[in-house]
Amino acid sequence: MSVLSHYMLLFIGAALINNILLTRFIALCSFFGISNNMNTAIGMSAAVVFVMMMASTTTWLVWKFLLVPLNVGEFLYIPAFILVIAALVQFVEMYLRKYSPVLYRAMGIYLPLITTNCAVLAAATEVAKPGFFKMAMTYNYTLGEALIYTLGVAVGYGFALIAFTALRERLDIAPVPKVLKGTPISFISAGLLSLAYVGFAGWFGL
Amino acid sequence: MKAWLKVFKDGLSIENPLTVLMIGLCATLAVSTQVQGSVFMGIAVIFVLVMSNALIAMFRKLIPNEVRIPIFIVIIASFVTVVDLFMKAFFPPIYAVLGIWIPLIVVNCIILGRAEGFAYHNTVWLSVADGLGMGLGYTTVLVGLAFIRELFGSGKVDLFGATILRMPGAYEPPTILMLFPGAFIIFGFIIAFTRWLNQRSATRKGA
Repeated sequence: MSVLSHYMLLFIGAALINNILLTRFIALCSFFGISNNMNTAIGMSAAVVFVMMMASTTTWLVWKFLLVPLNVGEFLYIPAFILVIAALVQFVEMYLRKYSPVLYRAMGIYLPLITTNCAVLAAATEVAKPGFFKMAMTYNYTLGEALIYTLGVAVGYGFALIAFTALRERLDIAPVPKVLKGTPISFISAGLLSLAYVGFAGWFGL
Repeated sequence: MKAWLKVFKDGLSIENPLTVLMIGLCATLAVSTQVQGSVFMGIAVIFVLVMSNALIAMFRKLIPNEVRIPIFIVIIASFVTVVDLFMKAFFPPIYAVLGIWIPLIVVNCIILGRAEGFAYHNTVWLSVADGLGMGLGYTTVLVGLAFIRELFGSGKVDLFGATILRMPGAYEPPTILMLFPGAFIIFGFIIAFTRWLNQRSATRKGA
């Protein structure tokens, strides 16, 4: 397989077939929490793409050049990775506030929320620690593959979030039975949306 | 009513983390395919929640306000590591089912939410009561959801190696309940049901 199609498959697999929100249930809190407004959803998606790429690069480096040589990866990876992500988000926020006020206004308020967004920790650990996503799969990502994979995860997150927000805006004006109004109907329609993602399973043999 | 009893009860009912506060949903929907895995997940969450609540309440006067979030995260991450290594060593089959959800307890909003919203401002015993109530409230809903999904989705419920309940022979389980759409749809109905219950008891109290 050529290099390009390998990267393409990695990207599509992460974005559609193993979609982080609708087929793996990671980061559902933010999915239901911020999907009632289109501007918020777009801002959050952009911030997630940005932070996730940086987080994955950092955890990949920390794992390879710090935890593995010191032989402490197996029992220190959770505190190490979450601290790296928390510190990184803090630095990004300070940097943006000082040097890029436009970008800060656009996504500054979402940055603190991202620390506890499980999608970032999940993707960053997946690319860094072999055998994390599936126990049997002990595959070492190269840094390039890690970045493509993370981009796929983040784009898949944004795509599902924006699609669901559009759906929810319509639900607000739809005639829904009284007990189902609000959150219950959002969950049921998320179920129908994830039904569509079931259809992606098995594409390209992934 | 004693204060700690009220705190404990609130976690189970009117402040239930899953059906009312709607936090910590990710792990719930993902692990609720099996009753057995859900029970273990519930125990893991109760342990981390109670221990981190207790420790944070103990040190609440020493933790400076500006760096409280990183300190909370380190405390939580240590207890999650304990659970992670313990399960990997003593219950490998269950660890294989729960997989990434054990490490992801670190970013479970329930635990950080209770640390920030409750343990940081309350005494140790009240925080332990809150952790137990919230943890049990979480576990009840999680196991309930897993029970419905496993019973109707696979036709039988297994617990610790024995089948405890089986559907009649002619029943053909719809696999969709075991897949991810089933989790969303059933959970939607569970929320609708608890909301209806709460509304009904509220109007009865009013009358």
